[in-house]
Amino acid sequence: MSPIDRRRAYSARVARSLAQAALLFAVCLAGCSAPAPAQRETPAATSTVPDLSGGWLRLDSEGSGSFDGTAQKYPPAALTPAGQAMVVRGDGRNVTPNGGNTAPHQAGEPYIVNNGACTPEGTGGSAIDPNSTAIFLLQSKDEVLMVREGPGGRHIHMDGRSHPDLTKLTPTLYGHSIGHYEGGALVVDTIGLPEGNVQGGGRRRPETRLTERFELAPDGKRLTITYTWDDPMLYVRPHTYQYFFERLPRESYAFETWCDSSDPTQRQSVVPPKQ
Amino acid sequence: MSRSRTTVGVVLLAAAAAAWSIGTFAQGRTGTSPDISGYWELPIDGRHIPPARLASRITPAMLRAEAEKSAKAIRWCNWVGMPTTMDTGRPLDVRQETREIVILAESPLTPVRHVYLNRTTHISSEIFDANTSGDSIARWEGDTLIVDTTGFEPTHGVTTIPGGGFRTATSHLVERYRLLKNGAMLSVTFTWTDPAVFAMPHSYEFRYQRVERGYEPRPYGRCDPFDAERAAFFEAAR
Repeated sequence: MSPIDRRRAYSARVARSLAQAALLFAVCLAGCSAPAPAQRETPAATSTVPDLSGGWLRLDSEGSGSFDGTAQKYPPAALTPAGQAMVVRGDGRNVTPNGGNTAPHQAGEPYIVNNGACTPEGTGGSAIDPNSTAIFLLQSKDEVLMVREGPGGRHIHMDGRSHPDLTKLTPTLYGHSIGHYEGGALVVDTIGLPEGNVQGGGRRRPETRLTERFELAPDGKRLTITYTWDDPMLYVRPHTYQYFFERLPRESYAFETWCDSSDPTQRQSVVPPKQ
Repeated sequence: MSRSRTTVGVVLLAAAAAAWSIGTFAQGRTGTSPDISGYWELPIDGRHIPPARLASRITPAMLRAEAEKSAKAIRWCNWVGMPTTMDTGRPLDVRQETREIVILAESPLTPVRHVYLNRTTHISSEIFDANTSGDSIARWEGDTLIVDTTGFEPTHGVTTIPGGGFRTATSHLVERYRLLKNGAMLSVTFTWTDPAVFAMPHSYEFRYQRVERGYEPRPYGRCDPFDAERAAFFEAAR
């Protein structure tokens, strides 16, 4: 149920409570002696639940859409010696055919944007690191679902559960996320991500804790996600940066692109014409 | 005194009825519609699939070609799309809002289904890029959610349809979602219409069981199309 629905449902409950009270009062006037107190509804804290539902597009205010310019402005991560020594294969996401080792590309050489696999591991970006494809948020009572334009999705559990024991958790692109609303923001806590790089020169491993705060601008049209990575083994202090998003029009719809892993040109962003 | 009390009582009863009506109205359309949000699993006995009656123009060679196309999509970890999204062997996560319903299969190869409740017509084919999921719009008719889908891509993903036949650019799918057993079960009846493939509309039903609260979605199995063992396995199966 969306916040709007919840607000509607709350209004309905209040109206019904008034009706019940009026009914009891009327019955009382008609002759009852000791009316039972009207059943009190417990108002849900809906006023603090932001309406994040719908599509969001990440903004790149510093570059051409590659987010490289934006990335250069993130504060550099303060890594411990262990963090500096941590070797990450690729970004921990790709499954490149050659095992992740790519030679520098020469001028005019077609290069790989994604690794050619059509899976969430292969198509660039991720649910914790959105790129130029839109993200969509669906808020229900016990879960916030975050999906992108493609396969896969991220389940943010809102039912009060805890993280499972890390020893029983298989690290995944999405990790294990639990969330709650706090002061008008959605706060998400994630562990269980695989080893990899983080914006601003950071690192992550399954034990690393990622805290995200999803906060709406007062007009509801902009969304800021503040990422904070914390892991005493890797970071001298928590590493923080922000992504900014613009709300897509309500009537917009999600795109579904096509991806064919058997097509070698899938891996090339540019196919040079024959000379 | 007694008459006065009765009059006041009647007035308050009328006020109560009015307030009740306002409350019901305030709930809005979705407030009175069922909520199918949750995790849903298709059990082994949850499929009722009669054989499709195919159009006379459909030949065994055409069916073989579609089967090979579908097998290739699976071999290469390509996105499978509809109707396979609804039967991956793992639970579906369904989330319902006023604007749309999203259906996410627990699989790395199934694109997310977006089912729009906020429009009554399909996106114009002039601007909509046909894809494996199509363009889905939906409305509630009483306790039944009617989902109408067109805009399928005929060559991408797994195109074969349970019971026989395959999806094409002219396929039209209507799904009817209804909660059963006090919300413990979700019945989905699929009806495919496509004169190019079917002699008559082809219907089948899946009955999903609600997964218990506290369920933890399992991590996606990694599908690496470049894995040598995978390639050998599929080559041997040809």
